[in-house]
Amino acid sequence: MSTPATATWQKNPALAWREIDDETVIISPNDSVMHELNDTGSFLWKNIDGKKSAVELAELLAENYEVTPDIALSDTQALLEEMSSRKLVVTVPAAGGVSP
Amino acid sequence: MTATSTPAATPLMDRLISRTVQKHRPLSVHFDLTYRCNERCVHCYLDHDDHGELTTAECLKVLEDLARSGALFLTFSGGEIFLRPDLYEILAAARRLHFDISLKSNALLVTPERAARLREFGVRRVQISVYSDIPAVHDAITKVPGSLERTLAAIPILIEHGLQVKLACPLMQENLMAYRGVMALAEKLGVPYILDLTITPMMDGSSGPLEHRASVSSLLPVLRDPLLHACKPQPAAQAASAAEAPRLALGSAVSSGIESAAYEDLPCSAGHNSCYISPYGDVFPCVQLPQAAGNLRREKFEDIWYHAPHLERLRAIRESQLPICSQCDLRGYCERCPGLALMEGGDLLGAYERACALAEEKARLAGVADPISALHRQPSSALVQTTAKGEFASLAADSSSD
Repeated sequence: MSTPATATWQKNPALAWREIDDETVIISPNDSVMHELNDTGSFLWKNIDGKKSAVELAELLAENYEVTPDIALSDTQALLEEMSSRKLVVTVPAAGGVSP
Repeated sequence: MTATSTPAATPLMDRLISRTVQKHRPLSVHFDLTYRCNERCVHCYLDHDDHGELTTAECLKVLEDLARSGALFLTFSGGEIFLRPDLYEILAAARRLHFDISLKSNALLVTPERAARLREFGVRRVQISVYSDIPAVHDAITKVPGSLERTLAAIPILIEHGLQVKLACPLMQENLMAYRGVMALAEKLGVPYILDLTITPMMDGSSGPLEHRASVSSLLPVLRDPLLHACKPQPAAQAASAAEAPRLALGSAVSSGIESAAYEDLPCSAGHNSCYISPYGDVFPCVQLPQAAGNLRREKFEDIWYHAPHLERLRAIRESQLPICSQCDLRGYCERCPGLALMEGGDLLGAYERACALAEEKARLAGVADPISALHRQPSSALVQTTAKGEFASLAADSSSD
């Protein structure tokens, strides 16, 4: 089931990560698995702050990269879902706090 | 020689190493918080007195500098890190700054409460020194009666709290044949291990610890052991490559990457994408290459890392240009360390007896007929270099003035 585009997202606080020359390396300490985001993925990662939804993130992506709003939203949602399945990001419930 | 049961460098790690080496980003930092220790290991290369450790505030500033510079992998070590009363404060800062945190410890002071706090602060892995599965052998090396029992008692506590544990076993005269016991112990505990034949001089260059080093001839049974050859690193998962759309390259196990092909013609990672920081704020290319490039009490990390002449000269060294070793037929069997070349052979660019003798034995065991290293092949007078020797001479002069 896909997450509503208006849901807000935050980084999993347990992660180690660093942006190195426009690419972001993420390590989940629970399983020692390393992930890497390219420059546009890193752009979204930087803007995932517990306040923005996929729609808002996609708007930022479209503003800063040569991509149409539709494609930006589609790409953003796909990335968020992928990262969510890896527990790199979680949605923030409306009342605040982290979703289980 | 090192034998390890941890994964080899993955494609993702290779790419990360390539990028950071190419641009000289300090990917991995080994930060000793103290040289004080509650063991007195016979082979230790450290002076355990406190000569003015970085304060808590200074440590936190160093961490902020490192994060800003792009450092990701951070190993806190010592001495014994639990002797720092501000350890948790430092770990909390490291977590806030999103480092991947590993520790090295003898684990004597681990309790369930402390293990829980390590986990709380995001520590991923703890490497623990175990010299033998036999208490008398281990305790004779640490000079602390009962130390093996206490160390081994800590391991399940750490594991139960979700921390990864790795055993490290430096092999020396006193425990040379204990390695199989340590391997069996690691297997029983379900943890990786590393066996290491590297025993180094003291950081001030004095040779006391070398008295404990096993002779090359005594190492033959170890080098011949088929069990060690059966423990080659296992390939880790493949990772997808990043594309133009926002992409996540997934699923590579984190590895040390120390044997990555990404280092190509470089002697090692020291000064290229890794460095060592002492408890007094000195920045070195590596703990085994004790030429201070600068001090963090006087300079910012970035200024040292990107501008120290020591590091710039080190980065210019290529294995293919080493005056002796580039001529050697046994390079594929050699684990030459630039730091040991300096400390033992007196030349950062040179060959040194221990590495050459070990390479010859490994080549012989691999079936090479009458293997002779370049160091042993030619009369010493034929090995004198000009440009390269001059390059080293300047390094040595700078080092002695520190």
